[in-house]
Amino acid sequence: MKKLLAILSIVPIIFLSGCWSSREINTMAIVIGIGIDKTESGYLVTVQVLNQKAIASKKPVDEPSVILYSEEGKNLEEIMRRFTTKTSSILYNAHLRIVVIGEDVAKDGIKDILDFFARGHEFRTDFFFVITKDTTANRVLSILTPFEGVPGMKMFDSLKNSEDTWASTKSIRIVELVNDILADGKNPVITGVEVTDEITDNKMATTSIDALKQTQVTNRTKYFGLGAFKKDKLVGWLDEDESKGYNYIIGNVKETVGYAEYGQKVKITYEVISAKSEIKADLVNGKPTMNVKIDIIANIGTVDGEFDVSKKENEKILSDIAEKKVKLICKKVLNKTQKDLKTDIFEFGEVIHREYPKVWEKIKDDWNNEFVNIPVKITVDVKINQLGQITKPFFIKEKE
Amino acid sequence: MKFLENITLKKKKVDEPVSVKNISKNIDENVTKIKNELGDASDLFINFSKTNDNEGLGYVMIYINTMVDSNIMSDLSIELKEILKLKPNISKPEDYGDTLFDYFSGFRSCSQGSEIADVCNELISGSVVIFVEGCSKFLSIKMKAVQARAIEEPTSQTIIRGPKEGFTERIDINIGLIRKKIKSRDLRVENLSVGSVTNTTVSLVYIEGIVKDEILQEIKNRISKIKIDGIFDGGYIEEMIKDDRYSIFPTFMNSEKPDAVAGALLEGRVAILVDGTPYVLTAPALFVEFFQVSEDYYHNFIITSMLRLLRAVALILTLLVPGTFVALITFHQEMIPTALLISIAAQREGIPFPALIEALLMETTFELLREAGIRMPKAIGPAMGIIGALVLGQAAVEAGIISSVMVIIVAITAIAGFGIPSYEMSNTIRLIRFALMFMAGMLGLYGVFMGLIVLVLHVCKLKSIGVPYLTPVAPKINGGNKDTIFRFPFWSMKYRPAGISGTSAARVDGDETVTPSQKEKQEFR
Repeated sequence: MKKLLAILSIVPIIFLSGCWSSREINTMAIVIGIGIDKTESGYLVTVQVLNQKAIASKKPVDEPSVILYSEEGKNLEEIMRRFTTKTSSILYNAHLRIVVIGEDVAKDGIKDILDFFARGHEFRTDFFFVITKDTTANRVLSILTPFEGVPGMKMFDSLKNSEDTWASTKSIRIVELVNDILADGKNPVITGVEVTDEITDNKMATTSIDALKQTQVTNRTKYFGLGAFKKDKLVGWLDEDESKGYNYIIGNVKETVGYAEYGQKVKITYEVISAKSEIKADLVNGKPTMNVKIDIIANIGTVDGEFDVSKKENEKILSDIAEKKVKLICKKVLNKTQKDLKTDIFEFGEVIHREYPKVWEKIKDDWNNEFVNIPVKITVDVKINQLGQITKPFFIKEKE
Repeated sequence: MKFLENITLKKKKVDEPVSVKNISKNIDENVTKIKNELGDASDLFINFSKTNDNEGLGYVMIYINTMVDSNIMSDLSIELKEILKLKPNISKPEDYGDTLFDYFSGFRSCSQGSEIADVCNELISGSVVIFVEGCSKFLSIKMKAVQARAIEEPTSQTIIRGPKEGFTERIDINIGLIRKKIKSRDLRVENLSVGSVTNTTVSLVYIEGIVKDEILQEIKNRISKIKIDGIFDGGYIEEMIKDDRYSIFPTFMNSEKPDAVAGALLEGRVAILVDGTPYVLTAPALFVEFFQVSEDYYHNFIITSMLRLLRAVALILTLLVPGTFVALITFHQEMIPTALLISIAAQREGIPFPALIEALLMETTFELLREAGIRMPKAIGPAMGIIGALVLGQAAVEAGIISSVMVIIVAITAIAGFGIPSYEMSNTIRLIRFALMFMAGMLGLYGVFMGLIVLVLHVCKLKSIGVPYLTPVAPKINGGNKDTIFRFPFWSMKYRPAGISGTSAARVDGDETVTPSQKEKQEFR
């Protein structure tokens, strides 16, 4: 009797609990990318679905590796369901890699979109957000890519790699994005994507599989910089230099390359191998001021012109001109955000909040206006690590 | 079932219900009785003789032809005649029995008796029985033929380094092999007889002073309670005296190698030898033992530790790989890295079966191949390999019924399965693997873990002759883990396993037992 009771109580535990959603992989439409554009009636959602047949085949097939489906509707959940009227299988969103938000949508605010992605149980939290510039999300997702046959994967990898080695982009996931929007002393940035040579070329070319048969296609997706937000609304764009400056200030540079000029003829390229930043707030006459300290370790990449980097006295020049250059681009982005965009994307507010909570309480409500006038002091320290495999340029000696 | 205190000398009682009758002084009467008892077997040879050709003292030699060594039979008959001739002065025929016994017991194993039942027992165990006219005692001389395989390399437990001899089917040779390894006064051999019809000799071998008494008594007790008509291998005993009768986990270790058994004895285990089989059981057996081989102790301890770790990995792989894979691709696709998912999705494109069916199909095919391969005549063996490569390989993938990733999964499982040294344990794991695969197919990872929890609970509950199966891990014995997943060097393994051995004396101790080279090392330190 006791045994029977034990069995009767254990069996329901096994069979009445969750995890019932068994689905075979071949019955799923794996969504790699989602694009959201604005239309008159609401949103136009484009999904990039994996075409397993094209990838599976060992022989070349005349089918693209992904298929796009578009659907219009008032809200995202409804549109996602309506896709079943067009596709044979149910969309599977767990492997979503990239969400492309149209510029129009971003300007109007992305709160509702984020709610959809944060609420859905199927979404993982490791996909990236990007915004389009001068084009639509649908167009961005439709462009086929070589090497990495799945365009969504290509965009995902490219964003990660460019952030790590070029520093003009910033990958942002949903958790960080929502936190940035919610925080008082902070505003998000999202990397912008554009389609190159959009106007001059035949638009159809790159969306057809024929594009993959050419070595050079002008239409490519390209990350060009960051879009600055005020809360959840896009307010303006930072160009490549400004984006890099932004990443220097917030300490998001892992590796990058930059050049500095010495005099008229000498141009030196640096390979930044490590960059750290420290943002601190100070009170001057009861008013907060910001101190940004950036420490950079760099190698010498190339030396253009007559300049002997191996000389001891030139060592200081090398770091001085680099420091000046970094300071310049940081100033540039600060100017732009303070004067033009008027949005604190650097978390200055959060820093004040942490260090002077009482001062923050007073200025919190009017932070956007306070930010515009806040003095920021930038100090840059560049250390030269290695001069490369050769010391002074070959050509100097020949002339002597 | 009775203890035979010593089969060769003092056999007193028998278990068969034979009519207890004494031997008469008349030879013919005795012969008739014996013929009746043994049903006039065709291989029963009865040799009437007289000391002087046709006159003189009459005597008879009886033996079962198929059991005795016929080469020395002729010697024996001549010897016998000579002795009887040389002793004509004996007045009473009754004394002939003692005279012959005195003579032969000097160099042959012989015994005397006066009951017909004893005569029969002696005959069936390969003795020659002699009756002398007018004597109411019989003399039996062991003349058992040495029908045995030579000592060969074990076929099922091969090694690279270490002793290569293996046990044979003869129990006395097997005991000799163990004695050869352990030349100690404390090595004890106790003979029991199991099987009401077969009367198979079962020997318990242990080292007095190292063995734990409770364990030894428990084993003796349990074996003496076995009631069965016959046994042919240790497997019978294992199944009859197991602690948990329904468990699929082996709780007795078996070995074909004297060095492995000797090693077990030194740790305080009891060896159970069964006549007629080269497999010797040792008990108590712990879970970790099934992942150790005798060779572990002959190689460098670091290498051995790594190999044991590898076997642990093999256990996890062979147990969990198919189940986890099925669970991942039918329930938890979000857990697979995107690039891998794309690759799997591409391979599964066009496969008509669900993943569970696909996995079962492949695993069953593999098990079938394995089963067929064991009993395959050697001449057809290569054909098996070719067919195996077809059904488990590229052909199955190209036919579009199996995805190539599943072929790899099955292959990994198979290789890992062979990585477990014990055949019994690997069979157990095979079966559990299928159960976990079903659980995975129905409930996903949730099911896999549910199965694992039940499995761990079961293994925790198991005991081998009263010793918890997971000793020395659970219950944890301090310092007892020196010979589990890692093998510590001998100089650091000072004590015998605490749960098994009855002595707390050190194995490697003080200055007396260290070898000169170790002394040198100590001096260097």
